[in-house]
Amino acid sequence: MVKTVFDDIKNTLKGVEISETSYDERGYHLAIESQKANIINIVEFFDGKGFYLEDLCCVDYKDYLELVYFFNNHKELCRVKVALKVESDKPAAPTISRIYTIANWYEREIHEFFGVYFENHTNLTYLFLHDEIDCYPLRKDRVPVTEDDRRLLNSFKPEEYEDGFFINLGPQHPSTHGVLRVVVKMDGEYIVSAEPVLGYLHRMHEKMAENRSYLQFLPNPPRMDYLGALNYNLGHVTTVEKLCSITVPERAQYIRTITAELNRISSHLLWVGAFVADLGGLTPFLYTFQDREHILDILEGIAGSRLTYCYFRFGGLYNDVDDAFIDATKQFIKHLRGRFGMYEKLVTKNVIFINRVKGIGILEQDKVPKYGCSGPVIRSTGIPFDIRKTEPYAAYDRIGFEIPTGTIGDNLDRYMIRIREMEISLNIIEEAIEKLPSGPFKAEKVPKKLKPPKGDIYHTVESPRGELGVYIVSDETDTPYRMRWRVPSYSNLMTFPYLAKGELISDAIATLGSYDLVIPEIDR
Amino acid sequence: MMNEIIQIVGKETVRVVIGLIGVLILVVVNALMLTWLERKISGHIQRRIGPKEVGPFGLIQPIADGLKLLGKEILTPSNVDKPLYFLAPVLIFIPVLVSFIVIPFDVCLQVKDINVGILVILAFSSLSVLSILLAGWGSNNKYSLIGALRSVAQNIAYEIPLLLSILPVIFMTNSLSLKDIVEVQREGWFIWKWQFFAFLIYFIAGVAETNRTPFDLPEAESELVAGFHTEYSGMRFALFFLAEYTNIMIISAVATVFFLGGYLGPFLPGFVWFFIKTYLLVAVIMWFRWTFPRVRFDQLLNFSWKILIPAAFINLIVTGGLLKL
Repeated sequence: MVKTVFDDIKNTLKGVEISETSYDERGYHLAIESQKANIINIVEFFDGKGFYLEDLCCVDYKDYLELVYFFNNHKELCRVKVALKVESDKPAAPTISRIYTIANWYEREIHEFFGVYFENHTNLTYLFLHDEIDCYPLRKDRVPVTEDDRRLLNSFKPEEYEDGFFINLGPQHPSTHGVLRVVVKMDGEYIVSAEPVLGYLHRMHEKMAENRSYLQFLPNPPRMDYLGALNYNLGHVTTVEKLCSITVPERAQYIRTITAELNRISSHLLWVGAFVADLGGLTPFLYTFQDREHILDILEGIAGSRLTYCYFRFGGLYNDVDDAFIDATKQFIKHLRGRFGMYEKLVTKNVIFINRVKGIGILEQDKVPKYGCSGPVIRSTGIPFDIRKTEPYAAYDRIGFEIPTGTIGDNLDRYMIRIREMEISLNIIEEAIEKLPSGPFKAEKVPKKLKPPKGDIYHTVESPRGELGVYIVSDETDTPYRMRWRVPSYSNLMTFPYLAKGELISDAIATLGSYDLVIPEIDR
Repeated sequence: MMNEIIQIVGKETVRVVIGLIGVLILVVVNALMLTWLERKISGHIQRRIGPKEVGPFGLIQPIADGLKLLGKEILTPSNVDKPLYFLAPVLIFIPVLVSFIVIPFDVCLQVKDINVGILVILAFSSLSVLSILLAGWGSNNKYSLIGALRSVAQNIAYEIPLLLSILPVIFMTNSLSLKDIVEVQREGWFIWKWQFFAFLIYFIAGVAETNRTPFDLPEAESELVAGFHTEYSGMRFALFFLAEYTNIMIISAVATVFFLGGYLGPFLPGFVWFFIKTYLLVAVIMWFRWTFPRVRFDQLLNFSWKILIPAAFINLIVTGGLLKL
C-alpha cells in the first residue's frame, strides 16, 4: 500500500517532494513537503484515493508556521504527513473544507489559535475561544489579534428566518449531555439545518502541555475524556514511550490491555443507559450504572481514583495488580455476561425502542472519509476500522478478537455495535488474564525528566469513542514543543448537521445521543 | 341549625355541597399520595428505595414537597402573555374536579348520579387540552409551544378511540349513568364479557390521554425540556402536576367502572374494592412509565388513526351486531 501510494504520487503529482519515513519512529509512512500552489492538488489526490483526513493541525516554528495534514486509509494502514509552510507574518493558506467537510472545523480552530487565514473559507468565526480574546494563544510569541479578524468576529449576525424558527438546543438542554449547544433551524417539528456551537468547556489543554514537563502533564488527558480516562492516559503514555524509545515490560502491556478494556466497558455501559434515557426510558440508566459501579470499584483498587484515572506511567504502571484485582475482574466478567440477557429483554427487543432507532440517522459508507469519523460510528457503516487491529498497541496484537460491524449505519447499528463490543471486551479481558505473564511491571531506568530526541511523532489508540491521535513535536527539552490531540467525538459530531437535516427533532436527539459525545473531549 | 339549613336549601343541595368538599379533599390527598406512590414504584423498579425519611415509609414526603413548592417564589418570565399564563394552571384544575362528581365510589357514595354521567367526564376531560394550549402559548417559549401543539394533536387523536371503546359497554347497558353501568355488572364484569379488547383500547388511549410514557410527548424532557410547563415554577407548576395525577386517577376510575365492576366485590366494602381496582390500574400506568421508552410523534398519531380507531370501530360493530341478534 505504502509503495503504491508513493509511486502514484511520484507519477501523478510532478514536483512534489516526497520521502519515506520510518513508521516505527515517526508513526507515519510518508512525508510530503508541499507548497501553497499544489496543496489543493495533493489533497484532491488523496480524496480520490479514498483517504480520510485524520488530522489537521499547525505548529509555530517562530520563523514560519507549519500546517500539518495527516491522511490515512480505512482499508489498509498508510499514514501520510503533508506539511505546508506558511509565513508567520500574515499567514494564509487555501481552504480544503470543500474537499473534506471536517477540515471546516480544523481550519476554524487553527485560525483562532494561530491566526492563519484560510482563503474562501465560508465561516471563520471562533470555534472555542471567547470573541474578545486579544491574542492567538498557541503562537510562541505574543501576536495580537489582527484588525481583519476583529471585524470578522463582529460582523457575525444571527440569520433572519421567516418561514420557521430557531431553537437553541443547549448549552443547558437535558439531552446534550454536558454543555454542547446546537442551533437548530426548524420548520415545524422538522429540522432544516443544525449547527453545533462548541467551546463551553474549553480549557486549552494543548497550551497547558507546552508549559509543563511530560510527567506533569500525565493527569491532564484523563480529564479531557472522563469516561475513557485510561484510554487517554494510554494514548499519552504510549506516544511518549515511542518517542523516547522506552520498552515496556510484557506484564505491564497485558495489565494495560485489561484495564483499558474495563474502562471501555464502563464507558459503553454509561452510554447505553444515557442513550435509552434520551429516548425516554429512564430505568436502564440506573441498571447500567449499577453494573458500572463494579468496574469503578475494581479500578479504584489499583489506580486509586474512580473516574479520572492516572494509572499508566512512562515505561509501565503506577503499581502492580494483585490477586484481589484478578478475582474481582473474573467475577465481574461472569456477572456482566449474566446481565446482557436482561438488557436484551428490556431494551434491545423492545418494539418501541426498535421503532425509534431503526433506519434513523443513516450514515452512508462513502460519506465517511469526508468526515473522518471513527469508532462505533464508522463501524456501524460496515467498515471494520479499529486502531486496536490496524496499529496494535499494548498487548492487542497477541490477543484474538473480532471487530463488530453494522450494515446500514443507523442508530440501531451503533447501539448493537456497542453492546457487541462490550461482550468482545469481556473476551479480551478473559484472554489477557489467562496469558498474564509474571515479571516487572515497569521498565527500569526511566529518567524522571524525559528529554526526547528532536522530531515529531503521531500515534493513535482506540478510545471508546473512536480514534484518538496524539501528535508531539519535541525540541529536546523536557517539555513538548507542541502537543496536539486529535479527538474522536470532534469528527463524529461533524456528521450531525448532515444526519439531522430533514429529520424530526425527536430523531435528531436520538442521533445526537448515538454518537456517545463527551463534550470536554471535543472542547479540550 | 342544621335542620334549618336543610329546610331552606333542600336535602339534595346539602348532599352535593358536602360531596363536593369531599371530592376536593379526595383530589388533593389522592394527588399527593400518587406522587408518593410514583416515587416508591419508580424507586423499586430502579433498585432504589425511594422516599423513606419523612414519616413512616416516607408517607409525609409529598406534604413536605407541597410545602416547599408553596414557599417558592412565584416567578413570571418577562414577555409572557400574562392573562393566559396565569389562567392556564387554574383552568387545568377545574375540569378534573367536575369529573369526580359523577363517579360512584360505592353504592351510595356518589356526589350526584346524573343520567349522562359519562358524557360529563368526557366533555370536561377534553377541556384540559385547552389549558395546556393556553399554557404553551402564554409562556412565550418555543419548547412550551411545541409541547402544547403536540398535546392538542395527541388529545384529538386519542379521544376518538377512548369514546369508541366505551360505546359498546353503553350499548350493553342502555344507560349513560355510571351507577347503572356498575349495577349491570353484578352478572359479570365487562372485561370478561366480550369487552376485553375494548378495555385494552380504552387503557392505551387513556395512557395517551393523560400524557404518560410511552406517550408523554407534550413534556418529552429529552427533547422539549419540560414541554408546556417549562416556564412554570412553584405552586403553578404544582397545579399542573396535581392535575396530571388526578387525570390518571380519573382514567383508571372510569376503566374500573366500565370494565372492572366498579365497587362490586366480595367480603370487603364497596369503596375499598373500588379503590383497590383503581390504584392497581394507576400502578400499571406508573409501571409503563418506568419501563418503556417514548414513541415518536408520527408513530403516536399513526398508532391511533391506523390501529386503535379501526380496531375500536370493529369492536363496536361486532358488539352491536351481536346485541341485535
